[in-house]
Amino acid sequence: MSTTLSSQPAGTSTPPSPGRGRAGLAGIHWQPWIVAALLLIFCFYTGWRTGDFWTVINWQLLVQPLAEAGLVSLGMTLVIATGGIDLSVGSIIGLSAVIAAVAAQHGAGGVTVDLIAAGAGLVAGAGNGLLIGWLGLSPILVTLGTMILYAGLAVGISSGSSFAGFPAGALWWGDATWLGIPAPFLLFIAAVLAVAILLQRSLWGRYLLSFGSNPVAARFSGMPVKRSLFAVYAVQGAFCGLAAMLMIGRLASARGDMGQSLMLTSIAAVVLGGTPIVGGMASVAGTVAGVAAFYVVQNGLTLVGVPAFLESALVAVLLLVAVAAGNLLKREP
Amino acid sequence: MTTTLQRLLHRQEGRLGLAMAVLLIALAFTAPGFFTAVNLASVVRGMGVLTIVSMGMLMVILTGGIDVSVGSMVAVISVVAARWGNTGAPAALVAPGALLLGAGLGFFNAVLIADLRIPPIVATLGTMGLYRGLLLQWTQGEWVTRLPHWLAAAGRPGRFLMDGSVWAAILVTALTAWFLRRTQAGRSLFRFGGSPIAALRVGIAERRVVYLTYSLMGVLAALGALFYAAQLGSVQGNAALGYELTVIAAVVLGGANIMGGEGSVTGTLLGVVLLGSIQSALILLHVPTFWQGVVTGAIVLLGVAAGAVRRRRPINLRALSGKGSAA
Repeated sequence: MSTTLSSQPAGTSTPPSPGRGRAGLAGIHWQPWIVAALLLIFCFYTGWRTGDFWTVINWQLLVQPLAEAGLVSLGMTLVIATGGIDLSVGSIIGLSAVIAAVAAQHGAGGVTVDLIAAGAGLVAGAGNGLLIGWLGLSPILVTLGTMILYAGLAVGISSGSSFAGFPAGALWWGDATWLGIPAPFLLFIAAVLAVAILLQRSLWGRYLLSFGSNPVAARFSGMPVKRSLFAVYAVQGAFCGLAAMLMIGRLASARGDMGQSLMLTSIAAVVLGGTPIVGGMASVAGTVAGVAAFYVVQNGLTLVGVPAFLESALVAVLLLVAVAAGNLLKREP
Repeated sequence: MTTTLQRLLHRQEGRLGLAMAVLLIALAFTAPGFFTAVNLASVVRGMGVLTIVSMGMLMVILTGGIDVSVGSMVAVISVVAARWGNTGAPAALVAPGALLLGAGLGFFNAVLIADLRIPPIVATLGTMGLYRGLLLQWTQGEWVTRLPHWLAAAGRPGRFLMDGSVWAAILVTALTAWFLRRTQAGRSLFRFGGSPIAALRVGIAERRVVYLTYSLMGVLAALGALFYAAQLGSVQGNAALGYELTVIAAVVLGGANIMGGEGSVTGTLLGVVLLGSIQSALILLHVPTFWQGVVTGAIVLLGVAAGAVRRRRPINLRALSGKGSAA
């Protein structure tokens, strides 16, 4: 069974089996709240230290990259729910952005560029889905390969250069707001609701969690494992394409290597939110808390004047501490 | 005749060997520059560091773990060794010190995994950011362009056009093979990776396996880092960014099972050689730099697919029994 787990934790190779009714949320509802509480304390502390933190413009600027990472993290939540992992997300973002740029170069207009970015992501994700769902290959290995392959394609197509001549229509996502809320953030909220409903209420969501919890049982129960897995990676690809679209809007340029940092951020955000890396359980609320924690903490640390290099180290510590604390809490009962 | 071929193709090592043979024959016709002594020597020198680090990763993957902090560890140790050596400290102090630091970084990973129960991929993802962030804060993005002369000498081609990394890689490979095959501790890595629960029942202490494996990984990353610095001649905070993925690709290409319990030194060595010679071949075949990632990615995917075909059935059975005993 090569599609089971990406890597087995040393001693804890058996994921706690999910409860029948509540999509296995019973065991992990702790962690999102711990993260959210810590985050709130951090926000008050930062607001007390600097007046720039609670300003409309700071939050408007903050939620744009948060929305990009958030979309990828939502897809990653679904992937990790199945016990898989997607290392190729950064490369898919770069590839989608570059393909959208080529389309813009050939005169594609605003909406077309957006659709092409999302579509390219979908196709790249479907490639992962074919290999993992249909051929039953290991997710970590397949996406390691496609990470190199897609990044290679992106760099090859763009000859390693960046592209900045997007038509104004394609940059709509960068400036559009509704009641002062940036459009990318609204897109993220819509995606959160969609993923939460799919995971908790749809048959597909059930299949994903069941497969993540026990792949052998899922297969023997006659679940459409191949199709479901294929769809997960395709959806993840589409989310990456949308993230590329938002990035193009925000940065007004495209590069083959953009989005590379989102691979680690998205995995870390999902894990920080309490979704176990071994699959079988997932918390969309946790992922939202996790990804918000990363961006708010980074923003706050910058405003307080912590050097940029130390920030990434502190964020890593945050991840380790939160996961370790979650583990210690879980062991009690 | 067919049975020999079948037996050969049955193992990932056999397939890799065949793929290598095909590649080399093709290269003999298309890229005459490949089989010159100078080029072959440079190809081999380019594999030294990767071999050293991959042997550590092989052991980690055998236990069913993974270490993605390897690139950060290589960067930290190469900068520490270069800066420390530049203060005039003798090689006899700096080199063991660097290895010890590597062991320490690896041991920290092990503590996170074995004692705080963080899954290996999450734990090492965290330390990857932590080690790299601390290093960047320390160096402030500055390069170390001058190396202590003993370190620079280790990266200079000497006898048979080989540098220190190649001799070290040969030694490390031989020691790893001996360790995995002949010692009880080495055997326990396979047992533990094959089935952690069964390993516990026969009295293999999980904590000790994890401590040992990740510390060894750290030591080998440190050894690789010394030669990495020596070969490049300058180091900086962003050194070896993403190196962990090349290392994992080499080990996996060599037929190691990412879920643990399966893998060999020979396979890993072949994985390194295949990746290394392809990079060189692509340059000689005038494939534009920008497209080389596509070829490398396609080869990794092919290797993964080939490995999976081989183990589809036995893995199904094992997954069944593994889940059964675990539940």
